[in-house]
Amino acid sequence: METDIRFTHRSIVEQCKAGNASSQYELYSRYVDAMYNVGLRFLGNTEDAEDIVQDSFVDAFKNLDNFKYESSFGAWLKRIVINKSINHLKAKRIPVVPMEGHEFHLADEEPIEAEATDIKKVKKGIALLPDGYREIINLYLIEGYDHVEIGEILGISTSTSKSQYHRAKKKLLEIINEL
Amino acid sequence: MDNFEKHIRQNAGQFDEHRADRAKMWAKIAAELNKEEPKVIPLWRRPMVRIAASVLLLVGLTSFVWLMGLGQGADHNPYASEELMEIDMYYQDLVSYQVQLVKNNPSLSEENKAEFLSFMDELDAEYDVLKKEMQKNLDNEQVLEAIVGNYKKRIELIENLLRQLNDSKKPDDDYGYTL
Repeated sequence: METDIRFTHRSIVEQCKAGNASSQYELYSRYVDAMYNVGLRFLGNTEDAEDIVQDSFVDAFKNLDNFKYESSFGAWLKRIVINKSINHLKAKRIPVVPMEGHEFHLADEEPIEAEATDIKKVKKGIALLPDGYREIINLYLIEGYDHVEIGEILGISTSTSKSQYHRAKKKLLEIINEL
Repeated sequence: MDNFEKHIRQNAGQFDEHRADRAKMWAKIAAELNKEEPKVIPLWRRPMVRIAASVLLLVGLTSFVWLMGLGQGADHNPYASEELMEIDMYYQDLVSYQVQLVKNNPSLSEENKAEFLSFMDELDAEYDVLKKEMQKNLDNEQVLEAIVGNYKKRIELIENLLRQLNDSKKPDDDYGYTL
């Protein structure tokens, strides 16, 4: 029996590859809420989130032959949703990384140590973050990507991702403390 | 990773608080997936286009080879030197003019014309041999002189013929005067 997370829902995925409509719906049912929340976190409104998630599922089902179990199906699908969301934000000229002088930012900034905070407060704090800060916080803290992956998603270097994340986290803690 | 980050990552599920409108979104996805992809038959699969393409390729190749041949021909100047080319042009014009005079002369019998022209043909053949010789050896003064000699001989021949024709007319004229 395969326990590797990459092969989660393998049989359903294989049936989807064969064009089985009911398997497609089954896979969709399992992931749609998670993907919708991802879209909503990045895009901030239900219409855009629905559109992006729908497009992502369509793309995923049409290109399922390209899915080779190098990650789990969920991770593969989430990456599609995030890439589409980032592209959507870029098209609307909404900054996906903080605008102010990140080129001159020094990477050797003091790391900020913070204690566990009430999740409700964190949610409120993230919602109040400026565009650019919110994306990197979402990617690192909630979606669980590392800085190499974030660099790939946002088209920035790993060190820029690190420094931007630290600034975003600092800003988030400031907002939370004021709540 | 500090406690703040660990706490958020461990409770990332709590950020998925929204539920997607499954039925509405699936309806759009299913419609998109069931959309009949327009059948695209690549042009090259149509037999007529294949034939046309083959013909075009053949014509193209032939033209290319022909043009290359032409280009090479241009490189190998049939005139071995510029000097010879100038001489050739000068004498060729002169000879063709005079040959035309002979051909058009009404007082010359067909037999005489044929004899004269066969003589010219012989000289033409000699000229061709000389020209080939010249191409083999550009600096051959003797060949160049022979070519000039060949032309001169032709002109001399024509001039003699024309003179004879004119002379034959003279007695009549003189006769007229004497009368």
